[in-house]
Amino acid sequence: MRAFFRGVMTLLREIADENAYQRHLRVHGRVHSGAEWRRFLDDRLARKFAQSKCC
Amino acid sequence: MKKIAGRIVWALISLAAGFFLAAIAVNRGEPMNSFWIVLAAACTYLVGYRFYAKFIAAKVMALDDQRATPAERLRDGHDYEPTNKWILFGHHFAAIAGPGPLVGPTLAAQFGYLPSVYWIIIGAVLGGAVQDFVILFCSMRRDGKTLGQMARDEIGKLGGFTALLTVLFIMIILLAVIALVVVNALKGSPWGTFTIAATMPIALFMGVYLRFWRPGKVLECSVVGFVLVIASIFGGQAVANSPVLAPWFTWPATTLAVAVMVYGFLSSVLPVWLFLAPRDYLSTFIKLGVVAMLAVGILLVHPTLQLPAFTRFVDGTGPIFAGKVFPFVFITIACGSVSGFHALISSGTTPKMIAREWNAWPVGYGSMLLEGFVAIMALIAACSLQPGVFFAVNSPPGVVGATPAAAVSTISNWGYPVSVADMNALAADAGEKTLFYRTGGAPSLALGMAHIFSTTGGGPAILGFWYHFAIMFEALFILTIIAAGTRVGRFMLQDLLGQAWPPLKRSTWMPGVFATSGVVVLTWGYFLYQGVRDPLGGINSLWPLFGIANQLLAAVALCVGTTVFIKMHRARYMWITAVPLVWLVCVTFTAGYQKIFSDQPRVGFLAEASHLQSAINAGTIAAGKITETQGTIFNDRLDAAVCGMFLIMVTLILVDSVRVWYRILSSARQVTVDESPFVLSRLQVEEL
Repeated sequence: MRAFFRGVMTLLREIADENAYQRHLRVHGRVHSGAEWRRFLDDRLARKFAQSKCC
Repeated sequence: MKKIAGRIVWALISLAAGFFLAAIAVNRGEPMNSFWIVLAAACTYLVGYRFYAKFIAAKVMALDDQRATPAERLRDGHDYEPTNKWILFGHHFAAIAGPGPLVGPTLAAQFGYLPSVYWIIIGAVLGGAVQDFVILFCSMRRDGKTLGQMARDEIGKLGGFTALLTVLFIMIILLAVIALVVVNALKGSPWGTFTIAATMPIALFMGVYLRFWRPGKVLECSVVGFVLVIASIFGGQAVANSPVLAPWFTWPATTLAVAVMVYGFLSSVLPVWLFLAPRDYLSTFIKLGVVAMLAVGILLVHPTLQLPAFTRFVDGTGPIFAGKVFPFVFITIACGSVSGFHALISSGTTPKMIAREWNAWPVGYGSMLLEGFVAIMALIAACSLQPGVFFAVNSPPGVVGATPAAAVSTISNWGYPVSVADMNALAADAGEKTLFYRTGGAPSLALGMAHIFSTTGGGPAILGFWYHFAIMFEALFILTIIAAGTRVGRFMLQDLLGQAWPPLKRSTWMPGVFATSGVVVLTWGYFLYQGVRDPLGGINSLWPLFGIANQLLAAVALCVGTTVFIKMHRARYMWITAVPLVWLVCVTFTAGYQKIFSDQPRVGFLAEASHLQSAINAGTIAAGKITETQGTIFNDRLDAAVCGMFLIMVTLILVDSVRVWYRILSSARQVTVDESPFVLSRLQVEEL
């Protein structure tokens, strides 16, 4: 049961782009800050919303 | 021993699938409990997943976990990232699940539950899931190429260009028809309109919260947003009960249509972090939550279906949309069993996140089966309504009569008894003034869902809350699709027009952004306005147009899949994609032909135009209505032209594909497969 909820939380974080942000920090060797988050989010959203959403 | 036990279990599941499907098919007269349908779908999907999909994966695609995927080879921490298969499964499902599998089966219930149940189950196993899986596989083996790129590379330049153009046109029709669903759900409803209006400032608040106050805390921000949205549902109830405030939020359909267009425009020009992104996060979480709640609700309540297996409308005289059960049930259900749009997702983000090749099996094939399950649940929710109520909610005044008394008389004469008192009582329970003429599918689906949710606890006393919760859920994510679609349409147009005048291509040049956003909004807005003004409810003309377009895009995807199989020297397995392709071509071309050329005015666009023109010529149209009628005639001809254009574009791709297949199959020369080279995977289990 614990593993299930851990899986659900990981999924929610993936959908919320929180996991992607952690990967971004790791790959670029940076630490979290408001400015870093905004830089990440602008790039992420620009690519995310270049594709249409499904019907 | 374990192997034998496994075989026995799978034999029992296969027998159960056959038994439940047969039991549903032969049942007549007896009330059908929804549990039978849930079990039939579950067992059939399990068998399809375990045997058919695994056969395709092993024998045809020859999936190989030793082969490094693009996520591993091109890993960049952004787009390309190996992801746990169940996380990616949820991510992919959240991306493909839209309003189609909810609204389509609800509308198709006018034929009765049986045609829809069979098509959702069989179509998903043999068509929709195969398409999603094959395109995911093709894209994964080609470094995550898009459908358009693969169509160009595998079929030819003409195929690629036509596929891109098809996507643009489909998007315009899609945005118009789903906007119409929202408008019809909110017209004359102060509770619903206030709730949805409140989500706009909530989204702006979330955008600022996430960017400046709590950067990176998306889940936390979404929880805050969800609490505010629930509060807005209660606020909507207070507004609806207030004699002062209610008129402020009681809007006619035309005003709502203009409001949705303004919303689409603003979403396209405002910074994405401020408005669109927070709504997208929130709507995705609510969508997943409601789907899970509906599944639990159906398991707990397992309602008896009130609609019969077949209604009298299989003959093509249905009030919701005209046309016989073949081909229109297939066109109407669309995304619940086969969706061309999924090919765009399967060749978008997902192939760049697959960690191991075999993960494409649950992600590509399994996600579509889950979407089929969502369609089954929507169908159950709609069919759990009394038939008279279902038709009173979904029928336009132009078909059943312009007054409630006339409507109940027409519907009761069809053999589905309903009274004005019943409808008024239901409307009062749901917190609405009336539920007549709420075409589009969303209100009847919301009623069915509210009925299931309120039966699990609270009873009729909280039916109004659940009805508006369901309306909020449907409208919220439909409006998010409209916002995202308008933005993407703007990008496409900027790209296209930027070839002629380069400044238009720059996304920072605001006059260009405003102008292209305006053009996109006015294009889908035109079709929306046409639907709102249509006396037959708009859904009658626009939903089939959307269904035809969506299924034709699936045909394009299956053309790509078949071409790839042939190039992989798997021509003896080309029936896997060719059979659903032939079926889709038969269905969509029949539906397209009928929508253009049928001599029945409610079915054929040209016949309706001709009928109205004759009425004008004969002087039977009142002088004040002549301009409006001429507008309807123009719209009918425009719809016929759009439908014809879809058919021509897909014919071009088909002919091009057959030419390529013939050239390969009739030639002795070796054909090379355009796949990324084999690289041995070094991905460690702990990296996932």
